[in-house]
Amino acid sequence: MSSTKISPSDLDHIAKLARIDLTDSEKALFLPQLESVIEYFDILNKVNTDGVEPTFRVNDQSNVFRTDEVKESLPVSDALSGAARTKDNYFVVTATIKK
Amino acid sequence: MDFTKLTITQLRQGLLDKKFTAVEVVNFFLNRIKTIDPAIKAFITITDQIALKQAEIIDEKIKNGKEVGKLAGSIMAVKDIFLTKDILTTASSQVLKNYIPKYSSTIYQKLIDEDAIIIGKTNTDPFAFGGSTENSGFFTTKNPYDLTRIPGGSSGGSAASLAAGLCTFALGTDTGGSIRLPASLCGVSGLKPTYGLNSRYGITSMASSFDCPGVFANSAQDLAILTQITAGIDSHDATSSNNQIPDYASLLDKIDLKGLKIGLPKEYFTDDINKEVKDSVMTAAKVFEKRGATLVEVSLPSTNLGIAVYYILVPSEISANMARYDGIRFGQSIPNSTDIISYYMATRGAFMEPEVKRRIMIGTYALSSGYYDAYYTKAAKVRTLIKKEFTDVLSQVDVILAPVSATTACKIGEKASDPLKMYLSDVYTVCINVAGIPSVAIPCGFDKENLPIGFQLIGNFFEESKILSLAHQYQQVTDFHLQKPKL
Repeated sequence: MSSTKISPSDLDHIAKLARIDLTDSEKALFLPQLESVIEYFDILNKVNTDGVEPTFRVNDQSNVFRTDEVKESLPVSDALSGAARTKDNYFVVTATIKK
Repeated sequence: MDFTKLTITQLRQGLLDKKFTAVEVVNFFLNRIKTIDPAIKAFITITDQIALKQAEIIDEKIKNGKEVGKLAGSIMAVKDIFLTKDILTTASSQVLKNYIPKYSSTIYQKLIDEDAIIIGKTNTDPFAFGGSTENSGFFTTKNPYDLTRIPGGSSGGSAASLAAGLCTFALGTDTGGSIRLPASLCGVSGLKPTYGLNSRYGITSMASSFDCPGVFANSAQDLAILTQITAGIDSHDATSSNNQIPDYASLLDKIDLKGLKIGLPKEYFTDDINKEVKDSVMTAAKVFEKRGATLVEVSLPSTNLGIAVYYILVPSEISANMARYDGIRFGQSIPNSTDIISYYMATRGAFMEPEVKRRIMIGTYALSSGYYDAYYTKAAKVRTLIKKEFTDVLSQVDVILAPVSATTACKIGEKASDPLKMYLSDVYTVCINVAGIPSVAIPCGFDKENLPIGFQLIGNFFEESKILSLAHQYQQVTDFHLQKPKL
């Protein structure tokens, strides 16, 4: 990537993917800010990483298993205690499919 | 009695010797908070009733000759991203403005189990996204040395509360410098442990392969006592380490400075660093030299790539971690949408702070189709190079000594409007997180305006014992860590 330009429609697309409504003034603020940050990332293009493996975690643990034991879980009333909308021990969610 | 001057060990001993009671200690700190905190604004929540109740239980135990925990009498301030059962936990964001968790973070609970007394929850940048507390969804914390300046961040409330003498120690997290930077700018000691030493369970997640909870204290000795308690494997955090935890406090005098090699990375001592900061850090290095250590110039050539790597990988992990804030199970929400996508967008748009949105969007961009390899994979490869440079250098020298920040605390608002400029102030801290190794930040002086300066001692994986020992020996012959602001 070089001399990144983010168009207003790119910004809308990113915001949609991120599930965030932006106001017009936020769009005007964020567009140049994101552009300058992403442009700064170009510094990595100069680095030769041929044959280098990516690092996704810094410790060398792998496959951390535990025994599958039946234990007390969070009581329903506690699990629901932070929810704005509940009904019959369930979370209430806005319709996910059209009627 | 001035309880701010007592160490963890002295506070506990004082209780056992019946020189004072835990209730007296709590009341002393509550009074200080009442007088001093309105100007500093370190705390979001003061847990006065809980603190007094805990103190009464400790006093009762002592009265009845029962055992008390290792931290009995110590007053703890907790960064507000640590979940504390039944105590408001906001993460300094409007998203969680009313969130009362039903379980506690592991390391907080371990400290409580040793009779540490929680005095309150401290301000931070929202979800720890920032380096100044200016991004907080509530207010900006002030530096106790100069109320017009930032305390550093993101754990700024914790560092400021300790510097102002409002607690005995404080909890923070360090994903890219969020313990070391505020420790340095507020003149207190702070440890960013090896990734995985302290459990991340019950702390709002920022970047899961970087996040390191840790402690602030008045001395390396107190840091050692606390880390002894917080460290260790946790079945709730699969990335927590199963390494044996050494007795840090008893090892503080065991490392012989004679013949020890201390690396000074030339990329951390450039002309970009304020001269007073550089001079103070060099003077600190000379303290070790005078006591028999050898100073060696070393090179970490990829240092200038750290910010780019960090601000690609961390927002990428943030964008995934922040997906949980949908206002359904917890958090504020805007309920009157007709479909779920508009509901998510309205809710997240309404309550997330600007820096939260920025970081989620940077991460979403870096992970999005067509850009993934160019940004995310590339940064993950450069991460490998940065990590290797550190482990290579640390096979030639025992520890690395470097400044924490190029400058002392800046004015509130000075960098707030320019995110890139703000990100660049992390240049001397982020690479350590990229590599995953431990680093302790220690006060080493003041500039002409009486603002604190700090340096960091960086060790190889799980070498907390070594860096804490060096920090302790430095503090045996200097008194910068004992100085407090005039308030």
